[in-house]
Parts: sequence; structure tokens; C-alpha cells
Amino acid sequence: MRTEMLAMILAGGQGTRLGKLTKKIAKPAVPFGGRYRIIDFTLSNCINSGIKNVGVVTQYQPLALNNHIGNGASWGLDGIDSGVTILQPYSSSDGEKWFEGTAHAIYQNISYIDQMDPQYVLILSGDHIYKMNYEEMLEEHIANNASLTVAVIEVPLKEASRFGIMNTDENNRIIEFDEKPAEPKSDLASMGIYIFNWGRLRNVLLNNYSKDGQMLDFGKHVIPSYLEAGENVYAYHFDGYWKDVGTIESLWEANMEFISLENELHMRDKSWRMFSKNTISPPHFITETASVSNSLVVDGCYVAGTVIDSILSTDVQVKVGSTIESSVIMPGATIGKNVKIKNAIIGENAIIGDNAVVYRENDIEVIGYSEVIGVQSDED
Amino acid sequence: MRTKKMCAILGNVSEFQGLLPLTEERPLDTLPFDCKYRLIDFPLSSIANANINSIFMIFNDRGTRSVFDHIGGGKEWNLDSLKNSYFVYFYQDFLKQKAQGLPYYSAIIDYLEKSESEYTVFLGSNMLCAIDLRAVLKTHQKQKNKMTMVYKRMESEKLSADNRIIQVDKTGNVETIQAFDQVLEKGERLNLSMDIFIVQTKWLIEQLIIGQKNDSSTNLIEFLGERMAETQTTAYEYTGYLSNIDDVASYYQANMDMLDAKKFNALMYTKQKIYTKRKNEVPTYYSEDSSVKNSQCATGCIIEGSLDSSLISRRTIIKKGAKVKRTIVMSNAQIEEDTVIEYAILDKNVTVKAGVKISGTAKHPVVIQKNQIVETDVIGGNE
Repeated sequence: MRTEMLAMILAGGQGTRLGKLTKKIAKPAVPFGGRYRIIDFTLSNCINSGIKNVGVVTQYQPLALNNHIGNGASWGLDGIDSGVTILQPYSSSDGEKWFEGTAHAIYQNISYIDQMDPQYVLILSGDHIYKMNYEEMLEEHIANNASLTVAVIEVPLKEASRFGIMNTDENNRIIEFDEKPAEPKSDLASMGIYIFNWGRLRNVLLNNYSKDGQMLDFGKHVIPSYLEAGENVYAYHFDGYWKDVGTIESLWEANMEFISLENELHMRDKSWRMFSKNTISPPHFITETASVSNSLVVDGCYVAGTVIDSILSTDVQVKVGSTIESSVIMPGATIGKNVKIKNAIIGENAIIGDNAVVYRENDIEVIGYSEVIGVQSDED
Repeated sequence: MRTKKMCAILGNVSEFQGLLPLTEERPLDTLPFDCKYRLIDFPLSSIANANINSIFMIFNDRGTRSVFDHIGGGKEWNLDSLKNSYFVYFYQDFLKQKAQGLPYYSAIIDYLEKSESEYTVFLGSNMLCAIDLRAVLKTHQKQKNKMTMVYKRMESEKLSADNRIIQVDKTGNVETIQAFDQVLEKGERLNLSMDIFIVQTKWLIEQLIIGQKNDSSTNLIEFLGERMAETQTTAYEYTGYLSNIDDVASYYQANMDMLDAKKFNALMYTKQKIYTKRKNEVPTYYSEDSSVKNSQCATGCIIEGSLDSSLISRRTIIKKGAKVKRTIVMSNAQIEEDTVIEYAILDKNVTVKAGVKISGTAKHPVVIQKNQIVETDVIGGNE
């Protein structure tokens, strides 16, 4: 059966700037916001946008990600005409198919895409926090008779040199594209979200790889070549909350912003829900000795200490006498007694022993997954 | 793992008048419990944890919408994979067929035959526990009796008139069985039958065939109780958490038990995982104004007021200045500013308007029915 639009989520990046947090797991699998992982936002956007088939391209440390996605049931992607497919590099008679760039990852998966036979391919990153309706973007793509549509967002001009920056004409047609320009000419940044007419992209990728194979990256190679060839390339304006959580600072900041009820993500809006794999945990327990203020708490938590401006993820324990401030505690972490934690990210299943202090002036302290700090007493 | 070893029958069809009005539109099985569960989650989880892959459920034909809504395809309890399944039967069909002189157990017999199971376990939903059915089965296999029943030593004061009380002989078999109100010497503790039985499937089929010829009870708990009286039965003692829920007070108390860390851990954090319907709720938000002591909350809530020794279900909003104490709040409640709510049970979708006071007592908590908008004070317990 023909698929109208197939989504391909690029989830293979190593995310080195997240340090300890991506040492053992891929960036899209990093926990976020108490009961999510980063990729949940993109996957939920897909299902909310009526996209039924999703390929998730993985490469670096994919185990946690594969386990999280499973058969896609958590996002309703396990129906009779829908599915999620994890795409790992594999070897074939043509050699090994490791991915050397965003476009190269698509090229290596041409046989999967051909099998789905889509009219349009939506390229997404698995490491952004946002809510977006891809169906609206597709409608504009079709209305513009575009060959490629790039989702763009206005960024502060001083930050623009971190992004792919484009210039558009009055009809939103992209006439110029600079990848990470030193002197940006506009503040319209590419969000790394593209809709391609598959037939055209397929030809471009195949032709180039049969020649010199320089079509590795969408921003660096594919978009410039589309513009050069005079293809119809349009911008789709997005003006909601969008956060690239590629660094420790931005991950921490996005989590802190996530706490507020006024967050522009409108998490409590039922018409565009965020789905995630649910764990089995009882309701959270706040004891006699606890105090919780401006914070998020989820299932399975046990709180006997003080929690201020923080996020406690699934199955986190905070023992008596401890204070957690402006921090993200990832799932399964145990915080002992009389611990002080401030401006920190505590990794999954980490154990912080009694009386420990986790704080670094003017910086975000990060404790890795399953890392053990200090000594923990046995009794609770 | 040998599959098809055990199959399960789930169904205590008693009407539990003492739970009204909580059971007006739902059976006891789907009564919400501890912020995010329903009572039926506990037997279903015990069944799932024992790798049982086929269940025959018997419900009253009234108010089953909530049952289907909750169980759905049965995915959460692993009932939706290729080889697993569940069947639902209405108790009233037994009664109808019996009245017409038909072999009224034929649906169960048919199910048991097709299950190809060697053993059958029977459970109800009102004995709240986390039981390891594989351990009961092991005992059953060792003892070589036709039946094994499960009991717990309970304080007499927690028992009610129609609870079945057993005495155990020196060999570990059931010696006597009586209704609680017929027990003459009520010691401090008595052996309460938890209405959980494991029997040889083949033997059960034979008994059902004989039973329906001899006008046996259509209620399987009664039927199995009668068999227990005449067949040598192994008594298995359960030592974990148990609550015997049959009226509003015992339901309220079982929930409040969850605020006792020992009892909470004994029910929720054993080897027996408790599964329930999955929901995708956002994390619960506690504002700067909130003050929360000794309470539990599910996800999706916004807490701006104060909570003391209360249980708050999903998507509840508690506004600034509201004081909620010793109260069970079921899902989707709106508790407005400056309300005072103590010793109460708020059913689903209740709104309490600003400034209103609701006050019951520990023995007689006030019950606010589903979808109510409370605009004036409600004082005193429902007798």
C-alpha cells in the first residue's frame, strides 16, 4: 500500500556535547521532563499529525532507544496500517552501510523507503523539544508545489551563526541558504525538518552517489544543490516553542522551562498530547517530612526531603533532610539523607550517598547514569 | 515454561450493597483504588504474574461499561498476544438458563474444556491482595488434594457477617467452614477464606456437570464453598497485605492503608507487579503555594492547595487555599479556592465550588457522587 508521507527520524547522532549523558545511550533516548525521553516529542508529533509510518534511523548506542520504541505501541504506531521501523546500519554485498551524514543516512535506507513507497518523505531529528503539526507543513508544501520545504524558526540574530540560515523572497521561497554562516544575513534558522518529494530526492541521492558521493549532509550538500538546480524550495514558518537540547546547558534549561504551567509547549493541552512508554509504578508518595514547591513529580517517587524548582522523574527517591533545588533527577535515581543538590542533572539510576553535596558554582553539575556518589546508609 | 498449565475464572458477583453509592454505575471490580488503580487490577495482575494466559470473567450484566473501558484489549495484563485471551460472561445468563431448566454451567464447562489447562484458579476482586498464584499452585501440586483454598488470619473486627471462616486441621487441610456470623467463639483472629481456589480442571468440570443436575448455586463462590465442605481441601495461608472490601468504610480504610508505608510496600512493591490501564498524563505540578504531607498523587494533577493524608487521582486540580485532609479524590476533580474537605470520598469528575466545606468522619466518610457539582456545605457522614 502506498504511504502518502513517510517520516524518517534521524536518531543516530552521538550527541557528544551532552557528555556523560550520552556516553552509553543515544541523544534521543535521554530522559526529559520527568516521564519522557527526548524522541517522544517527535514521535508524538508524528502520530498527532496523522503520520502512520515512521523509520527511526539509529547508529550510535541504540539499545536504550530500541527498548524505548519497541513496536511503537506507546505511540499507537502498531496498528494494521501503521508501524515504526528501527533502521540500523547493516552490511550487504555493497559493503557496510554506516551513516556518514544526514543525507547519507537516508541514502543508505533507500530500500526501506522504497518498500514504503511514499510520495513525500519527512526528515526529522530525534533531539528537539517542540510540538508541531507536520500535516499543516505538508499542506503548504503541496500548495506551493514545492520540491522541498524546510521548516524555519526565527532565532536571535546573535545566535544565528549556529544554524543553517536562509533568505526567502516575499512568497517564502528560499533563495539562499548558508550553513552556520559567520555573518548571518537573516534570522530564519532551519529546524532540520524537511519535506521532500521522494521521487526527486531519490534521484538526486542516487545520481550523486553513483558519481562522487558528496551528498552527505542535507544542510551542507542537498539544500544548496537543490537551490543550484532551481528546484522549488520553500520555507515553512514555525513560531511555537522549539528547543534543541544538544548541550548540557540547553537540556537543563529546557527542563527548567518545562516545569512552569505557563510553558509555551502547553503540555496539558489534550488536543496534542505527548506520549511515552509507560512504566509500571504506583502513585508518588509525599511524606510528613517533605516539602515540594514549583516542581514536577511523577509515578513511583518517594519524597521525604525538600524539592524546589525541580523535576523528579519516575521512581526517584529523595530521603529525609535532603534539598534539591533547580535540578533534574532522572528516573530511578536515589538521593540519600541530608544531601544538597543544586543546578544539577542526576542521571538515571544514579545513587547519591548521605550528606553528599552536588553543586558547582556557575555551572551545571552532571552525575552520570548509575553513577554512585558517596556512601548510602542501609535503612530508609 | 509450560503454557496452558493454569486457567483462571474471575468473578465475585455479589452486589455489595454497603458500597453504594460508589457502585451505583460500576461493579466493585472497577472501583478506583490508590490514585491510579481499579480493584480488578490486583487479581488480573496476580493472574498475569503467574503466566496464566486465559481468563473467564463473570460480571453482573449491569454497569459493565466501565469494565470494558478499563480492560480494553487486555494488553496491560498481557491478554492480547496471539495465544492469550479473555472471555466475558454475564452472571444473569446462568440464572436465566437455570430458570429454564437448562444445563446452566455449560459456558464455563465449554471454556474449561477448550482451555486445555490442568488447573483452574478462581478469584474475586473484593479481597485486595497481591498473591503469588504460582506458590499456591506448588502447594496444591504437593498436597494432591482436589482443591486448595487460600486464607489469611485476620482480626475479627475486620470481618463481616457473610465472610467465610475456616478452621485448619493438623495436616493443613480445611476442617470446618462457617459464615462469620455463625462462628460462636470469635477469637481475636480468625482464618478468613479469601475466596481464592485452585482446583484440578478435570475434576471441576465433573463437579459442574453433577452440580447443574443437582440444583447447585449459580454463584461460583458458593458452589466452590459447598465443594470445599465435602472434599478434602488444602488450606494455604497467605501472609501478605489483605483488605476485605465490602462497604464504604472498608473501602476508605483500604485506601488510607496505602499511606502507611509498610502496607503500601507490602501491596505495591512485592515480586508481584501491579498492572493497570496505561494513561499518558503529564507530570503532577506542585506550586509554590502548595503544602503536601503524607499523601499520594497520580500524574496529571495541579496542586496549589494543601493536602494532608489524602489520595489524589489523575488530572485533579486543587486550587490555592483549598484544604484537603483524609480524603480520597478520584480522577478529574476540580477543587476550587478556599474549600475545606475532610474525611470524604469524591467520585470521578466532582467539582467543589470555592469556599465550600465537606466534612465526614473516619468511620463515616462523606461520599460525593460522580459528576456532582458541590455548591453548598456537606456536613456529616452518610449513615
